[in-house]
Amino acid sequence: MVSHSRAASVAGAPRRVNEPRAALVEARFDGTPTLVNRETVAAVREEWRVVDRWWTEEPVSRRYFDVVLESGRQVVVFADEERGGWFSQRGI
Amino acid sequence: MIACILIPGFELRAALRRRPQLALEPAALAPLPGKDPVLGPVTGAAEAAGVRPGMRLGEALATCPSLVLVEQDPAEAGQAWEEIVRRLEDDGFAVEPVEPGCLYFEPRGVERLYGGVGQALKRALAAVGSAWDPRAGVAERRFAALAAASVARPGQLFVVSDERTRDFLAPLPLSLLPLEAERYAELEELGVKRIGQLAELPGAAVAERLGPGGRHAWSLARGEGRGRVRARRPPAEIVERFEFPEAVGNELTLRRALGALLDRVLARPERGGRAIRKLAVSARLVGGGSWRRTLTLREPAAETRAIRAGLGPKLAELSAPVTELAVELVELSESTGQQLELLRTEGGEAKRRLREGLRQVRASAGAGGVYSIVEVAPWSRIPEQRALLVPRDE
Repeated sequence: MVSHSRAASVAGAPRRVNEPRAALVEARFDGTPTLVNRETVAAVREEWRVVDRWWTEEPVSRRYFDVVLESGRQVVVFADEERGGWFSQRGI
Repeated sequence: MIACILIPGFELRAALRRRPQLALEPAALAPLPGKDPVLGPVTGAAEAAGVRPGMRLGEALATCPSLVLVEQDPAEAGQAWEEIVRRLEDDGFAVEPVEPGCLYFEPRGVERLYGGVGQALKRALAAVGSAWDPRAGVAERRFAALAAASVARPGQLFVVSDERTRDFLAPLPLSLLPLEAERYAELEELGVKRIGQLAELPGAAVAERLGPGGRHAWSLARGEGRGRVRARRPPAEIVERFEFPEAVGNELTLRRALGALLDRVLARPERGGRAIRKLAVSARLVGGGSWRRTLTLREPAAETRAIRAGLGPKLAELSAPVTELAVELVELSESTGQQLELLRTEGGEAKRRLREGLRQVRASAGAGGVYSIVEVAPWSRIPEQRALLVPRDE
């Protein structure tokens, strides 16, 4: 008999809280999000930048938006200017 | 030093215990209803006919029309695995079962009992039983022990010294690493087919491309990440079975049988008055398959009514008439009663409830199911760098 399904367990390893999650975002020409995970953005409550660790090999440059969606849900998304792509994040 | 014992294709071997003649024929473990139609482990004869584990059902049947699909038997597999784990525990090994067919233990505690690591490992292989074709791997690191067991032949013990770990891992296939299926394909498209090739890539690039899971696999590929063995607490061995004279599909009858079984199992003297924290109900189905559900009680209980209220609705999930019903007490509470306090300390009740809640979660999710949030850089402007989830053992 051959093969088996088995994987070394990753459970038990420390992991970060509030890791960013990839988000599907459509933005206007000025970078303001208009659609987050296929839901229309009703309002942008706040916008800010986080630029950090520029002295390391893994610099961080993010443009954050605190938005309210049409459903009333409040979401924080950011455009990662180093890696590219949009992410949502909690615990801001 | 960590030892790993591996039984490839365990579910198929367990399912074939009742049909041993199929072991020499082209046979494969059938997919579960409602799941992806891909094969599980296959027999040697099936492999010789060109059938591979993970093959789509249609392709496999077109490749080998005489292929016999063996229905999964989770209750039989669970029982067989429990028997193996218990035999090892009876021989003094404190084991951490990861999944049926794979377990870890630290031989350090018993090597003097058996006169060395080699002797202890031989004893462990013998305890598993040669019929299962177990393989053992020993290394300083958990993943290396798993890899060593994966390359060992049936009944063989493979030891990897710490300094040779990276060289040993380098030529092995990526499939040994705990990655998602699409990640393997992604890496293969990039020309990375061996563990050594992954280990040579820059860590930051791997993390960027594959995320935290990929980074973890990368550190395993480099022979890093020691990992600990969390030995399980041996469960209680109290089971009551009821064999029906003919298959029963009526839920009312099944509920009555369940009530009778609970009365019998709760009356067993081995329980010693202790309340039940976790129990399982299993059934043998009329077609030859089996069914099993576990229940972790919010509060340890020993009253038939309370337990039946939790277990009863699970009987509605049965997919076929039943020929045998069984109730097993999986975990009992440690104490037989609850000592009340004359004066309660401030916050004492909240702490007690928290401890109890954590115990329930552990009983339900197993070791490694509870984490604490530890603030590491609360001042950081990068939200995910402020805190870590750290496993909480006690």
